Amino acid sequence: MRSPGFLKSGTGRRTARNAAAVLSLCAVTALAGCASATSSPSSTSSGGGTAFKPVKQDNASQITVWTDSTRLPQVQAYQKANPGAKLNVVTYDGSADGSTYLQTKVQLFDRTGKGWPDVVFGSPTDVTWASQPTKPNAIPFAAPLDQNLVPQATLDNFAKGSLAPCQFNGHTYCVRNDIAQVVLWYNKSLMEKWHYQVPTTWEQYQALGLKVAKEHPGYLVGSVGDTNSQESYFWSSQCPAFQLTNPTTLRTNLQDPNCTRMSKLLDSLISAKAVSTQGFFSQGFAKNSGSKVLMANGPSWYGQYLFNTAFKTPAKQITAAAPLTWSGESTAATGNVGGGVWMVSSHSANLKAATDLTTWLTTSTANQSKAPTYPAYVPAAKAWLANPTNSSYFATDVSGVFQQAANEVWTGWSNTKFSDATAWSSVVLPALTSGKSLTATLPAWQSAIADEAKANGYAVTTK
Amino acid sequence: MTVLDTRHTTVSPSRRGLTPRRGGGGGAAGYLFVAGYTILLLAFGVFPTGYSFYLALTNDQGQFTGLNQFVKVIQDYRFVPAFTNILVYLVMWLVLLVVLTVLVAVVLRSRMRPGLSALFRFLYYIPGALAGVASVLVWLFMLDPDVSPASWLLNSLGFHSFAAVLAPGNLPVIFVLIAFWTGAGGWMVVMYGALNNIPDEVLEAAKMDGAGPWKTAWHIQIPMIRQWIAYMTILAFAAGTQLFVEPQLLQTASLGRVSPTWSPNQLAYVFAFQQGDFNGAAAISVFLLALGLICAGLLVTRSNLFTLDEK
Amino acid sequence: MTNTAIASSATARRGAPSRVISLLIICVLLAVLLVFFILPVVWLLLAPSKTADQMVHDSPLSFGSFGQIAAAWKHLFSFQNDALLGWLRNSAVYSGGSLILTLLTSVPAGYGLALTKFRGRKALLAITLVTMIMPSATLVLPVFLELNQFHLIGTVWSVILPFSFYPFGVYLVYIYFATSLPKEILQAARIDGASQWQIFTRIALPLAKPVVGLVAFFSFVGNWNNFFLPYLVLPNSDQFPVQVGLNQLLTSTPSFNPVAGAGLNITIPELALAIIVAILPVLVLFLFSQRTLVSGMLAGATKE
Repeated sequence: MRSPGFLKSGTGRRTARNAAAVLSLCAVTALAGCASATSSPSSTSSGGGTAFKPVKQDNASQITVWTDSTRLPQVQAYQKANPGAKLNVVTYDGSADGSTYLQTKVQLFDRTGKGWPDVVFGSPTDVTWASQPTKPNAIPFAAPLDQNLVPQATLDNFAKGSLAPCQFNGHTYCVRNDIAQVVLWYNKSLMEKWHYQVPTTWEQYQALGLKVAKEHPGYLVGSVGDTNSQESYFWSSQCPAFQLTNPTTLRTNLQDPNCTRMSKLLDSLISAKAVSTQGFFSQGFAKNSGSKVLMANGPSWYGQYLFNTAFKTPAKQITAAAPLTWSGESTAATGNVGGGVWMVSSHSANLKAATDLTTWLTTSTANQSKAPTYPAYVPAAKAWLANPTNSSYFATDVSGVFQQAANEVWTGWSNTKFSDATAWSSVVLPALTSGKSLTATLPAWQSAIADEAKANGYAVTTK
Repeated sequence: MTVLDTRHTTVSPSRRGLTPRRGGGGGAAGYLFVAGYTILLLAFGVFPTGYSFYLALTNDQGQFTGLNQFVKVIQDYRFVPAFTNILVYLVMWLVLLVVLTVLVAVVLRSRMRPGLSALFRFLYYIPGALAGVASVLVWLFMLDPDVSPASWLLNSLGFHSFAAVLAPGNLPVIFVLIAFWTGAGGWMVVMYGALNNIPDEVLEAAKMDGAGPWKTAWHIQIPMIRQWIAYMTILAFAAGTQLFVEPQLLQTASLGRVSPTWSPNQLAYVFAFQQGDFNGAAAISVFLLALGLICAGLLVTRSNLFTLDEK
Repeated sequence: MTNTAIASSATARRGAPSRVISLLIICVLLAVLLVFFILPVVWLLLAPSKTADQMVHDSPLSFGSFGQIAAAWKHLFSFQNDALLGWLRNSAVYSGGSLILTLLTSVPAGYGLALTKFRGRKALLAITLVTMIMPSATLVLPVFLELNQFHLIGTVWSVILPFSFYPFGVYLVYIYFATSLPKEILQAARIDGASQWQIFTRIALPLAKPVVGLVAFFSFVGNWNNFFLPYLVLPNSDQFPVQVGLNQLLTSTPSFNPVAGAGLNITIPELALAIIVAILPVLVLFLFSQRTLVSGMLAGATKE
């Protein structure tokens, strides 16, 4: 606890100047004893060593489940398989696209002291605040699942690195529902018709893109206009945009060669009109250019969601290739676009039922083999790939590619307390729409990230 | 269509003063009459205002912080953009509202047959039913060149995609369009009613003096409805500072192209619920409150609008 | 049509050219505004008759088919097991409940302020005026904390009670009683020995019908369309009023939320239909309320 009368200590001239301003304001208003306006640090040694103490348990009580509409059928399937389970199912936006609905509500529940859902589906970003108390003396929303809730053997079976966003202070606060490893999607029929080679490096991808622009104007090899395009491209390029060097320090350096190589590559393709600045998922894209997408570097769910559902590309045309590499680099790295997590509330009065549901949802092969997205749990992923409904749409077998990419997700793109989509969508995308180049926008993007990071309590380094 | 005839339906306070009739009124009875309302006023008007100030002057441990919360939020990188946005929006919105509603009301009142004028007023007024979330949703589609019935206009202005329409510089215009669409019709009807209250003899006299319709409007009609214009400006201003739903929904619908802290109210919301900083949020609220009260106060005193009591 | 309209006053008494120009300006202005106000409404009414595909490919103002309206209706109402019906019911409860409370408190209060004498009357009036023009959204946070103190969060009261506080309504009633109640009647009643309460219920209230209708209209419409407060204080989606529900519907639409909403049947036509359904009660009120609105707003801005 900080004692009154002291300003939060800090270094640097700026802090000193602020302090001076604050002090003089205090003096001007003749107010005695101004305490710091900064919120008291809440994350100090929380959860770290202390054991998790559940509330009084009642194994017969009803549990409330918050899910997004995509995963609703799975929760309903659990209810069907377990008629005795008492579930109250609520759908919400699932924290998609940087929504803060869940966070807002948990803030409110923390203040009311009741109302928390027992099980929630959320984004990895949600875990960053859910694993911390929202105010002094509050219990973090997410229960540490590794403490007598989910067996370690089960946790060990999740795909390599897929639980990293769940882990804080040595504990696991969520289980991953699905991963969205980035692969190179392409239209096999068109590629064969035009006698193009599927690229394996970014350089080949760029060359092919420029060639397509010349030979088949109007056709596209990608889009950077979606709210998550930065994860498809800059994450895959190992750009240090959101890199936590330690839990409280964020490194964001968009002048790093790993960033500029990608921005320059994309700029050349954008100006050749081979890469669109209009998002794949924007309102008119499917109508105007849906049938003209030759390649798309994007997550594993593009196959079903983008090509099948949105573009209505006929079956047996689309397939995926392994993540692209940079020439001269031996190991491939790829990005990840989304992939939800399930959390159990630490306030739940029926942890047993809540954990049982969570475990079933993420690890049951019967359930996950029919899931809409690629399971993070390895045995379930195998069952998913073996399920014909997940593969019959594609022109070739994608399981090898998916499994390989799942192991290549670059770990240098950290899960921060703020969504990586906000700055990209509100700063970079409007600039691209107005015709600025991506490379020229990098400084603005970097400072937006830095501002957001500072507002969320990170120290920021740009080296 | 008789419903639409708004002539002579207005309360005409001009003939009687606002003189409360005293004498018979006993004190106790008065308290009983206002008791229920007073409780609500204390609970949802006075107390929250006081609590806002308390929060803005303390930190999360209840320690007194002087003006530090205010200093903190001013220095936040989102503060200046948010308040700049809202000011630009307010200026555009109020100018457009005042100029167009008064102009249209004058035209509808003095230069058109009553029946047709009623039809026009009715049609202008109908979108008011779609206030709030509904209006934003409708305009999402109006502004999307792919589905909009006005796509030719958007295209000719150089906007070929929804994303291009949502360029940061366009946002205040978009919010003004939405606000005008839902709100202006109602105000036109009100202004029309106000013009209707002007005795015909006054207008006849002007005509005798050889004043044309524009001159009459400028020198007689508009000055006579000055108070109502001020009244409209205040209410529109108060509503305008609260802008929240519009940018919030647009942010969702544009997949994040609109900043989540576009308006000050949104910024307060983010402070409170994303950063868990209720004190900082309260400080922003106090800024908004001050802004609203100062401007309303200026207008009220300058236009002598609300006479609190009998003369 | 505007030409004939203006002809009524077109007995020109000034120079012809400027007359023509000003006529032209008026016509263009009125026509442009007409299109601006009405086009979106027409589009909205036509939208549910088309499929999402037709929305994009057909002419924006074409009519699809009645069968498609039925299909959109089915999709919409099957969303989360009739969630929309529940939201409409909630809206009715919140707006209706607060309407009753608003009338019960603001009508007597307006009367008391106008026609009785007590200490603090002026102060109460002044505070009412100030709160009336105060941006109420800024008070939502403290109101939330306050409701929490009284353990009302999650109950219908967390919405109804703040909604019931309606200073504008009090002000309208005050103005009405202060200006429109004939002095002589009251005087006569007092001489007959009627109590304050009797005067209020037997004389004032029957005369106040117009202003009561007015307060009811503004209160109902305002509360039906309110978004911010219920958005903040209601934790569960099955407690939402329809305005917050619309927001939920939007985030479930694949066109606006490709990741979370895929596989759902909620597309633009369903969304348009939802908008129509959501505003229907208010729209009906609007169709019959224009006159009420004028008298009410004018009463609110009165001065002499």
